[in-house]
Amino acid sequence: QNLKCITHNLHKMICTWDVSSKGRHGQTDFCYTTNDLPPPVCFKTKEKRVEILVPESSTTVTVTTNSVSGTAIATKEFEIHKKDVSFVPLTPRIFSLTPDFATSTLNLKWSDNGSVFPYGLDAIWQIQILRKEAMEKVTQVNYYSKLTHEDIILSWNWTSDMPLECTSHYVKLRCYINVTQFAGPKDWSDWSPVEEIPGKDSEPNGSGVFPQDTVVAVGSDVTICCVHEEGQQIQRMTYGPEIYPMIHLSRRSSAIRVLNASASDSSGTNAVCILSEDEMEGTVLFVGYAPDIPQNLSCETSNFLIVKCTWKPGRPSGLYGKRRTKYSLFERVSGKNVSCEDNEMSREHVCGFPVLADQKTYDFILGVSNPIGQTESSLLVDLIERVRPKTPEKVTVLGNSSTSVRLHWFINGSFAEIRLLCQIEISSGHSERKLHNVSVPGGKFSTYTAQLNTLHPYTKYQFRVRCSAADHFWKWSGWSRIEEHTTLEA
Amino acid sequence: MAASDSPSAALRRRDLCSRGIRLAGKMRSDVVDLLDTYVERQGLDASASVVAVEGVPAAAVERWDEQTGTQRLLENLAAYRAFRALLAQMLEEQREQLGEADAALGRALAAVLLQVSAFAYHLEELLRLESHGPPSEEGASPPPPSHLSLFEKKLRGLGVLRELAQWAVRSARDLRQIAKPSLGSSSAPSLAESP
Repeated sequence: QNLKCITHNLHKMICTWDVSSKGRHGQTDFCYTTNDLPPPVCFKTKEKRVEILVPESSTTVTVTTNSVSGTAIATKEFEIHKKDVSFVPLTPRIFSLTPDFATSTLNLKWSDNGSVFPYGLDAIWQIQILRKEAMEKVTQVNYYSKLTHEDIILSWNWTSDMPLECTSHYVKLRCYINVTQFAGPKDWSDWSPVEEIPGKDSEPNGSGVFPQDTVVAVGSDVTICCVHEEGQQIQRMTYGPEIYPMIHLSRRSSAIRVLNASASDSSGTNAVCILSEDEMEGTVLFVGYAPDIPQNLSCETSNFLIVKCTWKPGRPSGLYGKRRTKYSLFERVSGKNVSCEDNEMSREHVCGFPVLADQKTYDFILGVSNPIGQTESSLLVDLIERVRPKTPEKVTVLGNSSTSVRLHWFINGSFAEIRLLCQIEISSGHSERKLHNVSVPGGKFSTYTAQLNTLHPYTKYQFRVRCSAADHFWKWSGWSRIEEHTTLEA
Repeated sequence: MAASDSPSAALRRRDLCSRGIRLAGKMRSDVVDLLDTYVERQGLDASASVVAVEGVPAAAVERWDEQTGTQRLLENLAAYRAFRALLAQMLEEQREQLGEADAALGRALAAVLLQVSAFAYHLEELLRLESHGPPSEEGASPPPPSHLSLFEKKLRGLGVLRELAQWAVRSARDLRQIAKPSLGSSSAPSLAESP
């Protein structure tokens, strides 16, 4: 009775049947016609199953059960139509299940057995994640793919809401192939064998609190677990100053759930597991912010040797030391990259980039990253439009007459490519301050000079000077120190 | 202490001991302050029980009063050399973990490290008054701890500071004992001299 035929590949089908349980039976004679065209194909089998081709339309099957001595006991004929054949894909095999403990992520790989099927069929893979000793279902996900008549390794990632160390995680999957042109009933495959990622609670010396010393974003919900030795009891679990209700995971593991975690102090927030006999295990959680987009990014040069970029970091990340936010300056034209030395406490950040020979335009990308995230800011700069010379030094005044003097000053830097506009401030006791502008060709680590006339004889003057780029004004340098000089008598 | 204690050596020792006692007292109060800051800044529970710190001789000692002056100095020196290495390691970890963020705690740690170094030097001076002088440093520093988690490092730091506070008390008592005029260097102090 109950002859049933199932195909796994739309090409061959496996037929099975039942035999009444009275008495012992010998071999079975199995005959079938292919698409109702005689002669029938016959063969003997000890099994109660055979594999034959799926018929184009229908096939007639005759099953004769023989006694141990070989005499026919019973014969039954069945008419199998194509629409009676069920299509059940082969049970999928997990190719690999790889844990990434740092990110609590499982990577699942499996073969889609596509070579067995014609091109272009739609397949649905149902993946189940189970957890804890009781193998409770955590989630079930449908993954969709298209079969390509080749065996493709499919890959899928799942991030757990708790560290993988906390307890064992299990994965299994099954598939459904939507063969629209197949007339018979279609069904899900069987579940694959379960693959396990053992938690620390199944390791002999696996005790500890997890995640270990990790960084999370403010506002995250975090599961922290305590894995202990057999026989130990957890008295309480605290996060920061608070005691939290515990969630049982297994005989050796319990967890707490911290919701909407707030920013931690610089030394992190301690999660402590107090066990029997006052033993203690713990971990430190650093809760901070992803880096802010740098604001007011500005770059200039003061000497045509170094381009100095400054920016405001925006909201502090709350992460310090080796977890602090780090900056790097990438210049697209030259492809050069510079790591910036920075101090997470300062309100303004600075980074130096070498001026490159024969390069006028700089296309900067300021990259910002910390363990929680990354961002960037960019700036296109034509260097000669961003010159702010260093403060003039070694100002000297040489008096060659009662109404004129010659001023000399030095500027540290290489300005041979531009003209400088320098401004000399002249003040003396009773008269108003005057500004005298002079444009000079830029030089390389040069001393510059200017003649000042129409001064008053025998008068004490204070001179100071500052400079900027003449053609593309950007910013003045700082003022030099004041230099005093008394003109000669008339 | 020295085989035949010349008056100048005895005077020198008593001077070193009294200065050492003052240094130990100052160190203890600074360590106690540092402990409060450390517990608060590291988010620890002040009552947390901490296992013995690997590599540091315990301050508690049995039959304290039977120890010779040399034994006292040698044990003290071994302890403070170990504390010097442990505090230096704590400071390094502090900089690595927090960078500039908690400069106050860093400065306090550095200050105590300085005092511990000074006290170790002081003990070496006292041992120089002995015939054989202070032992060399090789192999004295505590073994580098196997990989510790951050929380374990925090607890270890708590243990180091607690033990250091205890040692400061013991050192003062030891130095008072050594400062007493005694008959010979290695003889145990006479009963009359027991505290």
